[in-house]
Amino acid sequence: MRKILVTSVAVLSSLCISGGAMAQAKSGEIRVLLANHPYGELIKQSIPQFEKQSGIKVNVESLQESQLTQKLTTEFATKSSTVDVFMTRPLQEGKMFAKNGWYAPLTAYDFADYPKNIMGAASFGGKPYIVPLVTEWQVLYYRKDLLQQAGIKVPTNFTELEAAAQKLNSEAVAGIASRGKGAAAVTQLSSYVYNYGGQYLDKGTAVFDSKAAVDALRFYGKLLGTYGPKGVTSMSWENIMPLFQAGKVAMWTDASVFLGQIIDPSKTQVPVENFGIANFPAGPKTNAPFIVSSWGMSVAQQSKKKDLAMKFLDWATSKEMAIKGMVGNITMARSSVWSDEVVLSKINPGLIETRTFAAKNGTPVDRPYMSAVGEARDLIGELIIESINTKGTSANLEKMAKDKVNQVNGLLKDTGEYGK
Amino acid sequence: MNKKILSNVLFYIAVVLIALVVLFPFLWMLSSSFKTQVDIISWPPKLFFEPTLANYRKVFEEQDFLKYFINSTIVGGFAVALSLLLGLPAAYSIARFAQKKLAVFILLARLMPGISFLMPWYIIFSRLDLMDSYVALVLSHMLIALPIVVWIMSSYFEAIPRELEESAMVDGATRQHAFLAIILPLSGPGIITATTLSFIFSWNNFMFSQVLSMEKTKTLPIAVYNFLSYAEVDWGGVMAAAVAIMAPAIALTMIFQKYVVKGLTMGAVKG
Amino acid sequence: MSQSSFTERNLPVLFPLPAVIFIALLMVFPVLYTLFLSFTNWNLTSGMPAKIVGFDSYLRVLTEPRFLDAVARTFYFTVFAVIIEVVLGVTIALILNRAFVGKSIAKLLLLLPLVATPVAVGIVFNLFYDPTIGLANFVLSSLGLPQGHWISSDSTVIPSLILVDVWQWTPMITLIVLAGLASLSDEPVEAARVDGASEWQILRYVTIPMVMPVILTAMILRLIDALKTFDIIFAMTGGGPGYASETLNIMGFKYSFEYFRMGQSAVVLVALFLIVFMCSLAIMKARASAEN
Repeated sequence: MRKILVTSVAVLSSLCISGGAMAQAKSGEIRVLLANHPYGELIKQSIPQFEKQSGIKVNVESLQESQLTQKLTTEFATKSSTVDVFMTRPLQEGKMFAKNGWYAPLTAYDFADYPKNIMGAASFGGKPYIVPLVTEWQVLYYRKDLLQQAGIKVPTNFTELEAAAQKLNSEAVAGIASRGKGAAAVTQLSSYVYNYGGQYLDKGTAVFDSKAAVDALRFYGKLLGTYGPKGVTSMSWENIMPLFQAGKVAMWTDASVFLGQIIDPSKTQVPVENFGIANFPAGPKTNAPFIVSSWGMSVAQQSKKKDLAMKFLDWATSKEMAIKGMVGNITMARSSVWSDEVVLSKINPGLIETRTFAAKNGTPVDRPYMSAVGEARDLIGELIIESINTKGTSANLEKMAKDKVNQVNGLLKDTGEYGK
Repeated sequence: MNKKILSNVLFYIAVVLIALVVLFPFLWMLSSSFKTQVDIISWPPKLFFEPTLANYRKVFEEQDFLKYFINSTIVGGFAVALSLLLGLPAAYSIARFAQKKLAVFILLARLMPGISFLMPWYIIFSRLDLMDSYVALVLSHMLIALPIVVWIMSSYFEAIPRELEESAMVDGATRQHAFLAIILPLSGPGIITATTLSFIFSWNNFMFSQVLSMEKTKTLPIAVYNFLSYAEVDWGGVMAAAVAIMAPAIALTMIFQKYVVKGLTMGAVKG
Repeated sequence: MSQSSFTERNLPVLFPLPAVIFIALLMVFPVLYTLFLSFTNWNLTSGMPAKIVGFDSYLRVLTEPRFLDAVARTFYFTVFAVIIEVVLGVTIALILNRAFVGKSIAKLLLLLPLVATPVAVGIVFNLFYDPTIGLANFVLSSLGLPQGHWISSDSTVIPSLILVDVWQWTPMITLIVLAGLASLSDEPVEAARVDGASEWQILRYVTIPMVMPVILTAMILRLIDALKTFDIIFAMTGGGPGYASETLNIMGFKYSFEYFRMGQSAVVLVALFLIVFMCSLAIMKARASAEN
């Protein structure tokens, strides 16, 4: 028996040692966390090149976005992190990470090539912490052939959008789709809210119970509840895309990043030339769809190898990498790549056109910008589902919205952000 | 006589119906895994189609499922081996010394919701720098395997007549020696049952690895789940992944059918 | 020699000791730690250090409608799933309880759902339930019935999840009851037959009472697991649409790993822990008294 015990202890401890050794990085080695995102993939593929140039060994991990947040948060919070560089979502994680002091300030980085309005979400207390990587904005995808058959123009405002959805809707094809899955739909609803003249938060206070915001919610619910695909309340973009590609959806409002995937000929049953992309339609008040920096990259404050980490950051956010991304229809944040004729000639003209519009008129935020954003999104998501389920007619919606506003304000108070 | 034939016919119809309901999701998963995305989303669903291996190629070539496969095997293998190491003596002791309370204590691990240990584990393993290590995963999966081993083996040992080791002990052997030299060699079938069942449960576990493993030690259930959220829903690929993860568990079950049934029903039937 | 007699004398302690230490370290300690956390306001999103706040987190969580809904939903799912599984499982076992050609194949088939990876099962059923391309709606519409929303509607999501659970776990009840039936002696049944009892009477008054302890045990096993169901719900709906399928398990997971409200999540986990513990205790007591 003693022998058994001794063996088991020996086995366990050897496992521990090898585990520990694996986690412990040698010098000249950094640990990088990337997201499952087209640009993350691109970086991952190019890392061998970087390793050869710099002599730095890169240990890279790719994670799905919510798992990435989860992992970063718990590693940083328990002060056990060995992460040096990571991809981050400025609007989702930014406030929380900055407040906890998990980002290293990037005072030495040259931000001249990044649009001012985007840097707002990448800076805290006047100091930049995140290098923006990718920009996305809300657009309208549509089926040129179906619109033509029905004899309608591309909708430019909400009235036309609804009329078109109604006309295009049939048993086989849903008139319009957009995300309906609670929390995931919050970013897509934002442009509707803005165009009705509403907002999620104003000066650190939740205001999505305003008439404008509730009207937008009702409109969104009416559109999707009446002309949306079946089961839309459990759909995010992953579910809508295959339907759109199978020809079962006529119009779709979502972020610009999906164009490249939509028109991938190996995945779509609809001839690629039948897909169109247009500016998000105007609402009764204005047309200010979201345009946000959806992903950025940062160095961890806990990193013990900030110099190596900075080298990696410089490379991964360089103009050369940005050009590579652009060629793959990834809409990068750097301004200069958008004025480079050679680059522009290689990407979809619809992207250029809609970006120009959104950059001029858009709103630089697409969700309640706060630390407890995950929970706030769930709360607003409830409103979205209620509205869709009742086709926008819920008598309860105002009351529910007030309720959720109170709860979101509670969250803001919990984290000391209320009224700021 | 006619009545007998009629009742026989009815009986077989019932059996076939039951078999169809049980089998249907498997057959459908299997057939979908050979369909292209276009065939899968066509309406009405296609019964006949040109099969493709593209989904399996995607799963094993692009997604590196082989690595997750190996991870699952390592984690399950170590968890089961170490659980046997700890569990066999404990089960013997419970069987021979009638340690009821001890049995209940170990069974608690089977009863308690895993999620109530998960958050502390996460915090502790992070502090110990053991996240995404095989150690953390093996330890957590041992909490699945150990109660199964103890549960099955203690009933098994109870069924072995005491006279066997007692006569050896009269001849001067110590009890621990009798356990190793006499009881264990007789316990082959029980150990096979415990090993198969605990390995399958470890293989299928999702919750622990979902939190404790990352890229390096990711196990199959997580890979399958991530495949779903990785890109747009690629049903063919997802179905191929589902086939890949279920195949080994099903193969094990077929090989050790007798033992698996025994293990699953043992405690309950004994009362 | 003296050392070995020490070992031998203390065998009842030494043999189980490693297992006990292991479980204490991996289970008891974490549970106590969770208990401790439940008295703090630790919240990673606030960026403030954790403070001990007594029962504040309890007050806040226990009065939240979302929590109460999750408790109700957990029982809704569990009770219906287990009742259906037991009724169906016992019925099938009684049907199959005879010698017939292909019995061993039938038993093998029954094993398959039990060993199928739950996450993968959930995903397969997701495609099955898909309102636009899924087979479920195809079947309904070819039968001339209206199509359903399955897991994408508040009112049908839990029944749809129960259906998956029933598919996966009814066979376990069947197999356990079959084994129980096989272990019974034939005498009481023969005696009843000699006395002229009908098949139905034999079933009702002889067979079922005899396998009752086995049925009850199978039910306990299922009940405990059903209360803790996580994989299929997480993989199929993630608790949605909205919170319509959020059970305590899912809520605990979200609170810890999505909202990072560690203190309050600990309260949810303690509640789940207590519910499972009390249920197990109650049923074990009930069974013990039924046996006596």
